[in-house]
Order: sequence, then structure tokens, then C-alpha cells
Amino acid sequence: MILALTVAVLVTGGVYLLLQRSMVRAVFGMTLLSHAANFTLLAAGVPGWRAEPLTDVSSRAEMADPLPQAFVLTAIVITMAVTIFMLTLAVIGRRDDMTEHPETGETHD
Amino acid sequence: MIPAVSPSLLPMFVVVPLLGAAALVIVRRRPAEVAVMLGAPALVAVGALWLLAFHRDVPVLSHAVGDFSDVLAIPFVSDSLSAVMLLVTAISTLAATVFLMLTGESRYRFVPPLLLLLSAGVNGALLTGDLFNLFVWVEVMLMPSYALIALTGTWRRLGIGRLFVLVNLLTSTVLLIGVGFVYGTAGTVTLAALAGAGSENPVTAAALAVVLLALAVKGGMVPVHSWLPRAYPATSAGIMALFSALHTKVALYAIYRIVAVAFEDGLPFLGVLAVLVLATILVGAFSTAGATRVRTAMGHQMVAGVGHILLGLVLLTELSVTAGILYLVHHVITMSSLLLTTGALEQTYGSGRLDRLSGLARREPWVMAVLALGMFSLVGLPPTSGLWGKVGLLQASSEQVTSGDALLGWAALIAVIVASVGSLLGLQRVWRRLAWGEDMTMYRPDDPTTGRGEDQPLPDDVLVPRRLLAPGAAMIVLSLALFAGIGGVLPSIDVAATDLLDAEAYVEAVIG
Repeated sequence: MILALTVAVLVTGGVYLLLQRSMVRAVFGMTLLSHAANFTLLAAGVPGWRAEPLTDVSSRAEMADPLPQAFVLTAIVITMAVTIFMLTLAVIGRRDDMTEHPETGETHD
Repeated sequence: MIPAVSPSLLPMFVVVPLLGAAALVIVRRRPAEVAVMLGAPALVAVGALWLLAFHRDVPVLSHAVGDFSDVLAIPFVSDSLSAVMLLVTAISTLAATVFLMLTGESRYRFVPPLLLLLSAGVNGALLTGDLFNLFVWVEVMLMPSYALIALTGTWRRLGIGRLFVLVNLLTSTVLLIGVGFVYGTAGTVTLAALAGAGSENPVTAAALAVVLLALAVKGGMVPVHSWLPRAYPATSAGIMALFSALHTKVALYAIYRIVAVAFEDGLPFLGVLAVLVLATILVGAFSTAGATRVRTAMGHQMVAGVGHILLGLVLLTELSVTAGILYLVHHVITMSSLLLTTGALEQTYGSGRLDRLSGLARREPWVMAVLALGMFSLVGLPPTSGLWGKVGLLQASSEQVTSGDALLGWAALIAVIVASVGSLLGLQRVWRRLAWGEDMTMYRPDDPTTGRGEDQPLPDDVLVPRRLLAPGAAMIVLSLALFAGIGGVLPSIDVAATDLLDAEAYVEAVIG
């Protein structure tokens, strides 16, 4: 239940931030949303505490499901890379690059 | 007889471009770049041809990476459909790469490795048999795309880059959530183990619907299509040709595959999909008329193409799936030709805006002939591959009228025909602005620092160089060849459709 509520709060905040004009806020919104996705993935396995999924340490019956954890790990890495790229995009350029021309002399079409 | 080779070579379709990308980060010699950038897609094309021939005897080839047993492994699976996709995407990648070399964009820092990384991601997404792995490959494919958008094109690319990244990351997150739901409800994300799961368990069907929704956004289906005609034209023409052949088509391929394997009794939400697909066809076709740039018009035509391709899935008979796959092949080839030819015009005259280009039929008869054939192909007129694409879909629709859901059949028939008229109107407007009217007097030559220079009088000897036209012309020749040689190509596509619909053979080969 706590997991579900956390996901709900994260998605609410994420959607709110994503709808703002500022790129940095949108990036924060995406961060919240991807955290929500990670929690959803974790919830797909057994959310309670389980033993380490190592054959010589714990028995099969008490092992945690390692797959959702692997999913989350992959997802975190990917999101982090894209977040850094998006922050770069937020730093370069001006407020509205669709109408204003840059100082370098580049054009829109 | 085709010599059999171990299925453990399947990951080579990913490994070869990936190694090439790594090598080109280190080695920056021009000859090496040219050799690897052209060699990798050429190798993939040869491999795909071999697979295509091989699959006549053995329908499905599967390799469990890392030799894990059945359901635990992440399988790489190839059948006729994925072989067709590999071949078509490799050919259009080749054409776009040649074009990028001719415009000089391939000499920007990191562009060669990014292009190879992109094709590695595409090949991985086409071959994987695992939903989570599909998400990973789609990300591998998108990551270089973000960078490519930021590197090439006009200044609009920055604002558009933000849109493109946000839309794609958001849909990837939805895709990820969907995959999580599938794992939670079905206990596996291996596609073969999910065979029929959508038909048996409504909860799994809902989870798969989330995955399909995310893929529909990436594919560009109405009402979540509007990012596509806005984002793509802001990149350079060569990159847009690459994206149009790869990104949306990979999403469409994944939709086809998931629906065919996981929903053996047909989609539970077929009605919704049917309405959206028909809307996609019509909206894409009629939006073309509102474009102010040539490539924006092409962007709207891409949306219409997405609708036509998915129509094959909505009708879901062997004939309709064959028609859908044929339309996909035709659409990739035609779009690639149109975009590269438009790109040649833009590179020479310094604008893709309809109000800055005119009277080109007299000035550039050859370029305009290629463009005209491409537009014929989009509308569905002979002598181009577009005719067979449309005829196949109409045949499948009328088959539905006589022996199936008559309402759906009629709706599909009317939508395809009305959309053809809409496309004709929209493209005819583009043609009138480009080809007829007064002679052009001003142009904006290529400028090394600002991309495009100041407006200046157009001398008579500034024409599209022959070699810049070559990639687009080669693709339209392919479209004409597809028109003339349809009898030779259709059997392969027919086999691809049969293999796709035969989920049992797929499951048998993957998890035994």
C-alpha cells in the first residue's frame, strides 16, 4: 500500500512539473516520473524483505526475485544519462529558441 | 540449399555496428570512417538477405544469449519478418549515410559513431524476443538520436530537441511501467512465454495495452502523433530520412509482433484501435495541405503511412498483414527517397520553405522528376510501389466486407480511398509551389559557420549536384523496381506474414 501511495504522489508531482514551461522543472518532473516507474517495477516482484538471491547464501524459498531489481538498475542508469543530456539542453540556448535568433548567426529555416 | 550457421551469430547484427562505433570514436581517419560507416550497414544487409533465404527452410531462428535455459534467457529471435525489416532498414540507413557524407554532416565530431550506435539499437530492437530488452534497445536507439538532433539541422533543433527528448523519455517511462505490469501479472517478460497471455488473462491484456500505448506514441499514431511532424523537420534532411526509416518503423514492428504473439484470439480492444488507426490515416493525409515546409508535409505523410501500416494489424487476416508489411517496406523506401531529394534541394538553395522555392520544374527537371515519382508513390499511383501497397490494403478491406466485419471493412475502404484523395490534394499543393511559378532569384548558399548564409542573388550555374541527387534517385529506382518486380518480392513478404501469425512455431523455437 505504501508503495502504491508513493507511486501516486510521485506521478502527481511529476505530471505537475512536466506541464510547466521551464525546461529544468520538466527535467525534475521526468525524474519524479522515472522514480515512480522504478517503484512500479519493484512492486512487480515481491515488495517485502527477502533474502539475497545467491545460491550458496539462502535457499530458493526465501530468495528475493532478482529480475525486477535488475530492471530497476538498468532503468536508473538510462534515466540518469538522459537527465544529464536534458539538463545540458536546458543550459544552452535561450528562453525560446523557436522564435529568437542566436548570436552565432544561425537561422531557423 | 542455404548453408546453416549457428544461431549464436544472431547477436552479430548488434555487435558489428557497436564495435564499428567504438572504433570510430578512436580512429578519426576519413577512409576508415567511410569504410566502417558504409561497411556496417552493408554487412547487415547481406546478413539479412542470408537470413531471408534461410527462413524459407527454417521459419524461426532463436539464440538464448549466455546459454541460460529457456524462459530465463534473453533470446535473440529472427524470422522472415525481422529479416525483411533488417534488410529494409539497412538499405535506407545506407542511402541516408551516403547523403550525410555528401552534405559533409558526417564529418561533424561524433556523427559517425552515433550513426552506427543508432543502427546497433535498431537491429537489437528488431531481433530481441524479450519485452524489457526491447525497452533497452529502444533506449540504445534513442540515445544517439538525441545527440544527432542536437548536432545537425537549423537553429530550431534546440527547441525541438527538448520536445523530442521529453516526449521520448516520457513514453519510454510509460513503456517501462507497462513492462513492469506485464511482469507483475504474467511473471515473465519473454515474448514467447507470453504467447496467448493477452487472450487468457484480461489483467495481462491491460498491462500489454500500456506497452502498446507507449509504442503507439513512439510510432506516431493519432491522437499522440503531433510531436512527429513538429520534431522531424527541424533536423537536417539526411537525419530525418534516417529517423523516418528507423524509429517509427521499429515501434510499428514491435506492435505487430506483440499483438501477433500475445493476442491469439484478436485484440480485446480492437474497436478502439480501429477508430484510432482510421483517424491516423485521415488526419495525416489531410494535414499535409497545411504545411509551410516541404519536409513538414512529408512529416504529415509519415503519420498517414503509420495509419496505413497499422491497418493491416486491425483487419488481422493473412492478406491484410501481408499488405501491411508490404506497405511498410514501400513506405520506408519512398519516404527515404523523398526526404533525401528534398534535402538535396535544401542543401543547394538554402531553404525548405514553400514560399522561398519556386519554378524548379524548369530549373531542376531531374530532381523534380524524382520528387514527382515519390509523391505518386505516396498517393498510390503507378508506376511506383505505392500502388501495390494501397491495392493490398483495399483487397484486405474488401475481403473483410464480404467475409468478416462488414462495418470495419467498409470504414477501412472509405478511409484509405478518401485519404488518397487528401494526400493528392496536399502533395499537389506542395508540387505547385515548388515546381511552378516564377523563376527563383534569391538563394542562401551553404555557410560553414552559420549553416546557411545571407540571402543573395541566385546565379544560373547553381544547381543540385548530380551526386547529391544520387541517394534519393537510387531509392526511387528501388520503388520502381518494387512496382515492376512485385511478383518476385511478394512471396517473401507473404512468408513473413505467415510466420508472424504462426505464433506456435515462434514459441516452439524460442522456449521449446
